[in-house]
Amino acid sequence: MSDEYFEEEEFKAQVNGKTLRRILGLTRPHLRWVVGFLIAIMVVSGLDSLFTYLSKLIIDEGILAGNKPVLYRLLATYGGLTLVQAAGVLSFVFLAGVLGERVRYDLRQKMFNHLQGLSLSYFSRTPVGWIMSRVTSDSERVAELVTWGLLDSTWAVMNIVTAMSFMLYINWRMALIVLAVLPILFWIAYEFRKRILGEFRNVRKFNSKITGAFNENITGVRVVKALGREDANLKDFSVLTGDMYRTSYRAAWLSALFLPTVQIIAAFALGSIVWYGGGQAQTGGMTVGGIQAFVSYVTFMMWPIQDLARVFAEMQHSIASAERIFSLIDSVPEVKDSAEAYDPGTMKGDVEFENVTFFYSDGDGKPVLEDFSLKVKRGETIALVGPTGGGKSTIVNLVCRFYEPKQGRIKIGGKDYTRYSLHAIQSRIGMVLQTPHLFSGSIRENIRYGKLTATDAEVENAAKMAGASDFIARFPKGYDENVGEGGNLLSVGQKQLISLARAVLADPEIFIMDEATSSVDTLTEALIQRGMDTMMEGRTSFVIAHRLSTIKRADRILVIEDGRVAETGTHYDLLRNRGKYYQLYTTQFRHQMEQALDLFNQEITQGI
Amino acid sequence: MSVSQNVLDYDLKKSIHPNRLVGLWRLMTGFRLNYLGANLSLGISALAKTSTYVLLRYFVDHHLVARDAAVPLWGIALGFIGLAAVEGSFSFMSGRLASLTAEGVARRLRNYVFDHIQHLSFTYHSKTETGELIQRSTSDVDALRRFFSEQGIGMGRILFLFVINFIAILQLNVKLAFISIAVIPFVLLVSLYFFRKISKLYENYQTQDAILSTTLQENLSGVRVVKAFARQDYEINKFERDNWEKFLRGKRLMQMHSLFWPISDTVCNIQIVTGFLIGALMTINGEITIGTYLAYAGLIIWIIFPMRNLGRLIVQTSTGMVSYNRVMTMIKEDREPLDQGDHAPADGLQGKVEFKGVGFAYEEGSQALENVTFTAQPGQVIALLGSTGSGKTTLVNLLPRFYEYTTGSILLDGVELNRYPRRYLRRHIGIVEQEPFLFSRSIRENITYGVGREVPQEEIEAAARAAAIHDVILSFEKGYGTLVGEKGVTLSGGQKQRVAIARTLLKNPRILILDDSTSSVDTETEAEIRDALQNLMKDRTTFIIAHRIQSIMDADLILVMDNGSIVQSGTHADLVASEGIYQQIFNIQTRIDDELEKEIASVG
Repeated sequence: MSDEYFEEEEFKAQVNGKTLRRILGLTRPHLRWVVGFLIAIMVVSGLDSLFTYLSKLIIDEGILAGNKPVLYRLLATYGGLTLVQAAGVLSFVFLAGVLGERVRYDLRQKMFNHLQGLSLSYFSRTPVGWIMSRVTSDSERVAELVTWGLLDSTWAVMNIVTAMSFMLYINWRMALIVLAVLPILFWIAYEFRKRILGEFRNVRKFNSKITGAFNENITGVRVVKALGREDANLKDFSVLTGDMYRTSYRAAWLSALFLPTVQIIAAFALGSIVWYGGGQAQTGGMTVGGIQAFVSYVTFMMWPIQDLARVFAEMQHSIASAERIFSLIDSVPEVKDSAEAYDPGTMKGDVEFENVTFFYSDGDGKPVLEDFSLKVKRGETIALVGPTGGGKSTIVNLVCRFYEPKQGRIKIGGKDYTRYSLHAIQSRIGMVLQTPHLFSGSIRENIRYGKLTATDAEVENAAKMAGASDFIARFPKGYDENVGEGGNLLSVGQKQLISLARAVLADPEIFIMDEATSSVDTLTEALIQRGMDTMMEGRTSFVIAHRLSTIKRADRILVIEDGRVAETGTHYDLLRNRGKYYQLYTTQFRHQMEQALDLFNQEITQGI
Repeated sequence: MSVSQNVLDYDLKKSIHPNRLVGLWRLMTGFRLNYLGANLSLGISALAKTSTYVLLRYFVDHHLVARDAAVPLWGIALGFIGLAAVEGSFSFMSGRLASLTAEGVARRLRNYVFDHIQHLSFTYHSKTETGELIQRSTSDVDALRRFFSEQGIGMGRILFLFVINFIAILQLNVKLAFISIAVIPFVLLVSLYFFRKISKLYENYQTQDAILSTTLQENLSGVRVVKAFARQDYEINKFERDNWEKFLRGKRLMQMHSLFWPISDTVCNIQIVTGFLIGALMTINGEITIGTYLAYAGLIIWIIFPMRNLGRLIVQTSTGMVSYNRVMTMIKEDREPLDQGDHAPADGLQGKVEFKGVGFAYEEGSQALENVTFTAQPGQVIALLGSTGSGKTTLVNLLPRFYEYTTGSILLDGVELNRYPRRYLRRHIGIVEQEPFLFSRSIRENITYGVGREVPQEEIEAAARAAAIHDVILSFEKGYGTLVGEKGVTLSGGQKQRVAIARTLLKNPRILILDDSTSSVDTETEAEIRDALQNLMKDRTTFIIAHRIQSIMDADLILVMDNGSIVQSGTHADLVASEGIYQQIFNIQTRIDDELEKEIASVG
């Protein structure tokens, strides 16, 4: 799903004082920058009005009076002030621009840091795309509001106020005419802006649909061809592009109508000025320069108005963005350290489940584990087998304290593990996931993830122990070979070996492995097995096992079904029972032998 | 608003031209009148704006100074309003017409590219990356759209403003006119210089943005690893580094902006102040009237400040040109002719397939198939056995003419295969892949995907039942309306395969190609899939890409392949009896059963 999908999720907020204050609070650490750009923009804005007034003076007191010294003086002032204004422009673009980047930086960092502390449950119920758009587009919008939004509206208000003051000073009656038109102008501009913004949101929505359609048609092109769907697909797609066409056209049409409308209304004010002012001038109540100044002020007035309208229209969305960001920052981790949590220095010891009941909060409330008890002795290897959804992963998640029991308790070394700090537990657990996750970077960096202070020799030694060193050595750059985004330049088997090496390097006290179901070639398989042996040696280990060799080697096998232990014992005990394990074993045996003995060294074939 | 079908169907291949401007002009075929209209409106609108200043001059000179006006004051007031109305309506017209053009061109281009991609050959697709194609069809097309809606029109606007206002000033006073454009080359140079830099810096900024997104995304999807190794601090540092780099690049970008605006402002202002000075002195000396001075003071702003944007537009246009090239290289590729071929029997196929000395090479020199000869009678099951890369998949890919055999001959019902149109062949050949691709539509749509007609619900359900997937579908909350994939239900490999079987059952092809690998499927569903496949294979000529002997023992003909050639062929009974690869495989498989018995016996 594209980011746009999450971004477009309708979420309009009412402008609400508390959120607004909190948004403005984001600039507090950089208050000097804010004050700086506000002063700069006020100078720039005030000068804009002053220039018009100076032009009036040039006409009335310079040209019409035929007074060259005054003319020179006025023009010199004008020229000097443009330099001042240029300095002001430089300051506000720099200050507001850089501050904007800084606020973006702050927001992203704040969210990221907070995310690191959130529990796994948060991530399992929140799609990655949702979080991504909070960190990327929402922070963008909020930063935009506190910098350019604030700047534009300050500029606009300042401009209107100063222009009005000069107009009132030149001729207050005529100034009142202008003042009367202002609210109408603003209202129209605002209504337009709101609608234009809405239309562009629709355009983005269609745009992401079009991208999705392209994506699907390209990745599925083989099926499209095989099923002869070309014409039907083009027809569906044309409907989409037709919608896109109409929406974009509407958006463009509205935008094109907006400025002319405002201009024409402003022209009525202009007309009134000419009419009324012309009459005044003939009676001497108004100078030529004065009229010229009014004409300039009025023609120019639509810019601050439209800026103000834009900021107001966008504010609603920015506030909605801010509320989503705050909801992320305010979310509380479900699993966290208690006040007196401590690090006992080791996690060696028995692991005990005592009448543990657990259900996922975002699930249907049905317990995944119910009244589950298990005692694992220090150094013991436990193989968990059984159907998907039976509760194997949940047991492992609880051991890692990614989740905590809803009832009952888990003890490590005889003490309830919630009395330890999370870091104490998790830094002593090594884990290899079913679908190994690597980070972009080199192989070396990925292995070193297990122990950040490891020397190159230690990294290489770990790789050797995990059986990964051979294939790494075959890469042209060896340990410095890039693994690609998410490790996608490596095969599944290679990724497993690297994540095993990572765990070896971490030298954990408890080892957890979720065996992959997908087949890897026989050699890699053997290497993985050997690596696992190294890991399990002397460590309390939990293995969600699919491979017979792993299962057979375990000290104890638990057949987990429907949240409880259906059978338990050693391989031989269980086989003799002729129960569930027996069934599982025989089918798995057949399956695995066929694969292992396949002369064709079969891999999953790529599609036709 | 409505666009004629003719215009929509215009073949964009004709718009390929080595000169990119000509190419862009051709891309506009059917919309050129709109585009000319847009530019013309722009001109009228600019003219009205200029006239406002001429009217101002008349007003000042004849009402305020001399009081000898022939036009009454209210007439002048109405004149201002009228001119604003003209200016406004034509600038609206221009925007409207430009967007009609740009959106129309983009729509046609999108449809064309979409259709083009699905008609490109397998060869093209297998050597082109998905991401690259998507980028060309989305962001590059969008860059072209922006060219027509923003840059093309924007430049037109600046030129019109310049020409019309310059002529107007010339009318006022020739000397003033030439003085007031002295600075334009500098404005242009400054803006070109800065926008080159700015667009470069912006690109850097975007690159870092992509890096930061990847870091974030990897952290989020690897959250279990991060937690399992307690690496939160490390992750925070890593993100902080990338984040700070993005800040720095943003800062550099803003620095460039903060230099550009005041510098270009100052250059423009020098011109304006000089113009004011000269104009004012001329007025005092009586060379021009005060009204002329005022008109001049207004017009000069409309000549100079727009020039500042020209640099930006020129830089942006060059990126538009790059996009044009990228889109056109794709459009240049030849489509696969779906309807080429003279033999398309209306009463369908019998299903007899003969390969006679068939050879095929993906590329010159590397033979993927060599001298393949065999015959499949209608309704027979042909099994292909062999290692990855032995040529099994290549062989079956020749049947729907995904690739064209290079030597030998393939006869379908006695007629050379390449005389059948591709579309016809694909309609009569069904394919079930091992991990079939399903579309993010409802399950119902996925099942009826290849049929091309309205299918009643009963028929869909019957197919789903025969494919042993009906009950699974009903177990979903939305049944057949369930969306596949994201936001919807994730189907397992076996379930996907059964949906594909249902899809193929509905299509009812004469010839069937099956990729029979069940290695990724757990044992329970394996039996169900086997039943479903049996239903599917009934009365069809079937080619099975097999991985295990159990599933092909009943085949009418087994082809053992190695290195692009058939090394053994015959029925199961024949092959088991003769020495060779097949026998070896068979022996291994029977050994498995013995071993299992032994293993179980050993525990008592």
